[in-house]
Amino acid sequence: MKKPKDLNLETLSLHAGNKPDSDFGSRATPIYQTSSFVFPDSETAAGIFNNERAGHVYSRITNPTNAVLEERISSLEGAIGAISTASGQAALFLAITTIAGQNSHIVASKSLYGGSHNLLEYTLPRLGIKTTFVDFRKPKQVKSAIQKNTHLLFGETLGNPGLDVMNIEMISDIAHKNKIPLLVDSTFTTPYLMRPFDFGADIVFHSATKFLSGHGVVIGGLLVDSGKFDWNSNKKFKTLNEPYEGFHNMNFVDEFGPAAFINRARKEGARDFGACMSPHTAFLILQGLETLSLRMEKHIANTREIVNFLNEHDKVKSVSYPELKNHPDHKLASKILPKGSGAVFTFEIEGGYSAGKKFIESLNIFSHLANVGDAKSLVIHPSSTTHHRMDKASLKKAGITENTVRLSIGIEDSSDLKEDLNEALKQSNR
Amino acid sequence: MYYHPSRKLTKGSKPIIFIHGTGMDHTVWTLPIRHFVRKKVDVMAVDLPGHGKNQDKALESIDKISTYLFNFLDKNSISECSIVGHSMGSLIALEMASSMPERINAISMIGTAFPMQVGEALLESAKQNSQAAIDILTFMGYSYSSRLGGNKNPGMWMTESTRRLMQKSKKGIIYKDLKACSEFSDGLEKAKKVKGKVQLILGSNDFLTPRIRAQDLIDHFNNPQVKEINGSGHSLMMEEPNKVLDYLQELFLN
Repeated sequence: MKKPKDLNLETLSLHAGNKPDSDFGSRATPIYQTSSFVFPDSETAAGIFNNERAGHVYSRITNPTNAVLEERISSLEGAIGAISTASGQAALFLAITTIAGQNSHIVASKSLYGGSHNLLEYTLPRLGIKTTFVDFRKPKQVKSAIQKNTHLLFGETLGNPGLDVMNIEMISDIAHKNKIPLLVDSTFTTPYLMRPFDFGADIVFHSATKFLSGHGVVIGGLLVDSGKFDWNSNKKFKTLNEPYEGFHNMNFVDEFGPAAFINRARKEGARDFGACMSPHTAFLILQGLETLSLRMEKHIANTREIVNFLNEHDKVKSVSYPELKNHPDHKLASKILPKGSGAVFTFEIEGGYSAGKKFIESLNIFSHLANVGDAKSLVIHPSSTTHHRMDKASLKKAGITENTVRLSIGIEDSSDLKEDLNEALKQSNR
Repeated sequence: MYYHPSRKLTKGSKPIIFIHGTGMDHTVWTLPIRHFVRKKVDVMAVDLPGHGKNQDKALESIDKISTYLFNFLDKNSISECSIVGHSMGSLIALEMASSMPERINAISMIGTAFPMQVGEALLESAKQNSQAAIDILTFMGYSYSSRLGGNKNPGMWMTESTRRLMQKSKKGIIYKDLKACSEFSDGLEKAKKVKGKVQLILGSNDFLTPRIRAQDLIDHFNNPQVKEINGSGHSLMMEEPNKVLDYLQELFLN
């Protein structure tokens, strides 16, 4: 039987979640810049509060502009629902605390964004949540790190900054055999390059600050639920499969089935932790999403050119990018990232720390700052900035040295970018 | 049999029983169930045999499901009840209300039609437990507009939610359900036998049970209440949850 044709990413990026405004016909999604919503009567108010009617109460929990963004990212990822958060870090925190608490344990990839590493290594232990960091390329290490109280496996589609490509099929298989979910940070890839749920991930989050919004003008996060994990399969997920006193003894699995996780995250986490996204931010991310496919195409084309350029440059020791044959995950990347391995990569500059410093300071088009995924090209020195809290051993494990320079390639003219890099490399050893 | 909210039934209770459609379970009724519980109305959303948490063997005809539910009512000393049914559930409501009209006080048939014939290709696909069957039911289950979202329930992507629920159903269930709908017969005669109040909630853009195919049923009921929701497809509880609740309130609380 012929399957119905689903709409493609390019169409959904523009339309999903949004209908022309019923009051004035606004084609663009209106910004509902309001803290709260007027109830037509007391009975309706009671109904919305009791979750028997659909509607909005307070923008910390839901907002119509944010709801469009949440539906849009869900449609792009093949998810049942999503929650917009104040930042990618807020989305990660919300994901973890929705299912884990005192005496919980996480197994995470050793190659994580520095901020995520801080949260897991230093902050969450204060809340009774401990993490074991392992090499996700080594399934035995992952398996042996799993404990009775492990609630989650967690890694990034492309590790930051070393670009380890996560074998999501393999890791999710280990997770599911142990009846625990796999959480994936998909910030570097976006649904344009890969949909982690297609490979077995259960929950995804994004720092929407990066490629999704694409212009470096907002801080925002998105927590996205596939609805695939069976929360009843393991008694340890008590927040979802036992009554919750904080919402009239609601049992989320009983009442929401596949949507248990995302409902608990909103009804508890958005309500109580309060790390919500501003509607104006949601609007700006929606604007960014409209051109996601066009930008990603250009990001990738430019990245490929610059990777090849640097790879042949005599002032560059090495380049780490999964499309290069010498990258340890080259084969895996060709299989699961056929459209490209992202637009962020690292290279080792000849001449050590001082050369790196000089190089960065000599760039004119590239901006030296702590972000990636902007339409504008960016550069940073990870060991002294984004990953500076990691000790030498952890840095080594994450594939970072003092010579490592991270680039985030924008959508400028590629010959201008190459020229800028070439001039700065010349300066670096003077 | 599993039903939600899970509790011991009181003797003499006249509950409203909510019955889901093909490949679904009790979770499709969460919103109205929460409403009627708050209003202290006795309600129960059942998982039909083989669905959700009901471990009983799936039944292959509307008639057998109806008998199964009457047996459940008898075991719990429930002599009368009302029924809300969606799609296949609406046919079960009709069967129960026509076979024992004195026991069924009211029925609400949501997203319904007679006959509810299912094409051979879809049946065959469902028989093979093919993903294509789930995809076509999901696709046809929503209006053009709802396929692009705009969920009244913030942040939830409707089509994928429906797809996921069906994907979680056991093998063979969707086929049995579709076959049961397709083979349901004498609907118009049965409509004439119903004595209690009848309500039909229909979507103007329903591709699975098109509005026009409910007309014969409407004509054979005695004074039915017909509620048409403009723009909605077949998944009315997802697409228009508040309007569905308004109409159910009108039937059961006014």
